[in-house]
Amino acid sequence: MRHKRLLAACLAAGLALLAGCSAPSSGGSTGSVTLTYLTFETPSLTASFWDTSIANANKKVPGVTIKKLVAPSTDRDAYAKQLQASGQFPDLLQSITPSTFVQAGLLKPYDQTWVDANFLLPLGNAYKGKVYIPPTNSQIIPMVFYNKTLFTKAGINAPPKTWSDFLTVCAKLKAAGITPIELGGGDPFAASMPLVGILSADVLGKNPNWLQDRYSGKVKFTDANVQTAVAKYRTLAKNGYFEDGALGVKYADSITNFTSGKTAMYMMGSWFLGSVPKDHADDFGSFMTPTDDGSLVVPFAVGGSMAISAKTAAPDKATAFAQAWSLDPDNYKALIEGDGAFPMLKGKSLTDYHVTVTQVFKDSYAYVGQQNTKVSAFGWATNDDSMPSGLNDAFYAASQALYSSDDVAGQMAKLDAAWNTATK
Amino acid sequence: MTTRARPWRGDTALGAIAVLGIGLYIVFIIVPLIMSAWKSLTDENPLLAHSDFIGLANYQDMAHDDALISSLGFTLVMAAVVTVAANAAGIGFAMLLNRTSLSFRMMRTVAFLPQVLSGVIVGFVWRYILAQDGILNAVLVSTGLSSRPITWLGSPLLARFSVGLVAAWVLTGFTTVVHLAALQSIPVEMYQAATVDGAGRWQQFRRITLPMLAPGTTIGVTLSLITMLKLYDIIVALTSGGPANSTESTALYIIKLAFTDDRFGYASAVAMLLLAVSAVIALSVTGLLRRREVDL
Repeated sequence: MRHKRLLAACLAAGLALLAGCSAPSSGGSTGSVTLTYLTFETPSLTASFWDTSIANANKKVPGVTIKKLVAPSTDRDAYAKQLQASGQFPDLLQSITPSTFVQAGLLKPYDQTWVDANFLLPLGNAYKGKVYIPPTNSQIIPMVFYNKTLFTKAGINAPPKTWSDFLTVCAKLKAAGITPIELGGGDPFAASMPLVGILSADVLGKNPNWLQDRYSGKVKFTDANVQTAVAKYRTLAKNGYFEDGALGVKYADSITNFTSGKTAMYMMGSWFLGSVPKDHADDFGSFMTPTDDGSLVVPFAVGGSMAISAKTAAPDKATAFAQAWSLDPDNYKALIEGDGAFPMLKGKSLTDYHVTVTQVFKDSYAYVGQQNTKVSAFGWATNDDSMPSGLNDAFYAASQALYSSDDVAGQMAKLDAAWNTATK
Repeated sequence: MTTRARPWRGDTALGAIAVLGIGLYIVFIIVPLIMSAWKSLTDENPLLAHSDFIGLANYQDMAHDDALISSLGFTLVMAAVVTVAANAAGIGFAMLLNRTSLSFRMMRTVAFLPQVLSGVIVGFVWRYILAQDGILNAVLVSTGLSSRPITWLGSPLLARFSVGLVAAWVLTGFTTVVHLAALQSIPVEMYQAATVDGAGRWQQFRRITLPMLAPGTTIGVTLSLITMLKLYDIIVALTSGGPANSTESTALYIIKLAFTDDRFGYASAVAMLLLAVSAVIALSVTGLLRRREVDL
């Protein structure tokens, strides 16, 4: 009898363990649909922001319950792949890079008529001619933000126009005892920003189709023009224009260092505009990475809201929710003020979002609407210029390596090898 | 006088528990192992439903994979250095803590604390300690031991040292407890007899303590090696494998291959390689160390 009770207890424990492995259902108890929505959190895009924005969209789409998933880091592409591998691909995915997922048939395109009707650049992030993420906002990646007070202290009256001017500015700042450029080298994506700016300006600025040419094998990272551009980054590092120990500085600390006046310039995506201190915002200005001849090149990236899974059990509801969320102006207030996003909704101006933005935001946003040379931000495009899987990591690693290594040819060869492996 | 074989008293309840244990082991260890071995012979992509059998192509690709060779080199060196350091420190701390008073018993609990913390928490905490403006640099600069902050995580060499330091800190808690248990099993009479025979402290340590610690050392070294060979969480939180992939362990490389590069098949092959290397090292070291163990 004692043995039978013990045996029963063991079997019950085993069944309890296995019960935890059952797949979740997507149907609600009262006929409503449950959709999983992959989000990510940053200092600006907080849990509260997501909960509020989801609730607002829910009001417009009854019968939908959203189960929010939060990526453990800002690399939501990698997390989405883990979820796919474990059979839990979300119904909605915020701001992923569509290309890899589209190739696997995992995403559903939006109705182009709806996209054309609602957004300034309907094909801004299109992949193979279709839109998988509504082009709701854009970024310039990177801009060069600068501290006007420190510039004045070093006797610099205006931002540089050419690369030569830029080097002169750096030298003047260093001579005045001011660290010229802040670098969050401890976080790989932040470490790559100077290189993103230089390659976007010099390589894509002269050949906007360079990334497409790389896909077709017409150009390589080891080409002379690319190595010449990369050598500019080495010049900045060798001349000591970055702060000491930059590779040990985390991204969050780099923001603090720059906004507290420890460094004069900061090459970062325009999302930094959300971190400009409101109490002395007029201390900050921005310009584009200078080119050799002073021509203006704007490294542009059209982002967006959410992608829809091609496998969702409720495509109509998912689409309705995604459209409602994407067109809600209240969502853009947080994105504009907190994340420096440049809104791309048709027929709307900044005042329509009831936002309070700094002058440096307005000056930076002006580049979006102006007629100028816009190219894809190297490594940040989500359209046909997006890099193959794994290349971003290889690019970031090369950026960190080149901070202290002079082996430009070797690092570019590694990028070519990584590209060839990823695209074979 | 004849002996009679004892009748077998099978205990069905214990048998049921054993079956449950074996079943869980098969389901969560053996089956995934077999599945991973199969995947290593394919070109599986985590995003695609279909994959093709490609035989040993993944294993052939390994010979030309510089990133794999680099990560394996880092992993093996870290495993060797940290294992030696953690076990040497563990023996030292065990000798210091081998007292019966309440305060020493409390210190034993504190010594084991790093072992119970999750690797991610350990990594995050140490990231702030080792930051450019972190506590360690503040102490070093304020005491004059360093004229400027040291980039503990900002250069490849120092980042590797930092990873080793943190991993050794975590493992020392475990090795201390293991060696302490071994120390406490050494009969006091052996030391008394050695004293009577005129042996000094160093001779007693060499001739009695170290040999009698051998079973604990076998456990400490083997588990330290296995832990270091599959190290992932501390590195992700502390350095993310940087700068420039200098602290990328093989385990971290496997995850990157699978979920960033979308090369599930190749990642599985690298995982099989890591398993084989770990098994060879663990079995060899265990075999060597067991010869040193002394039976009373």
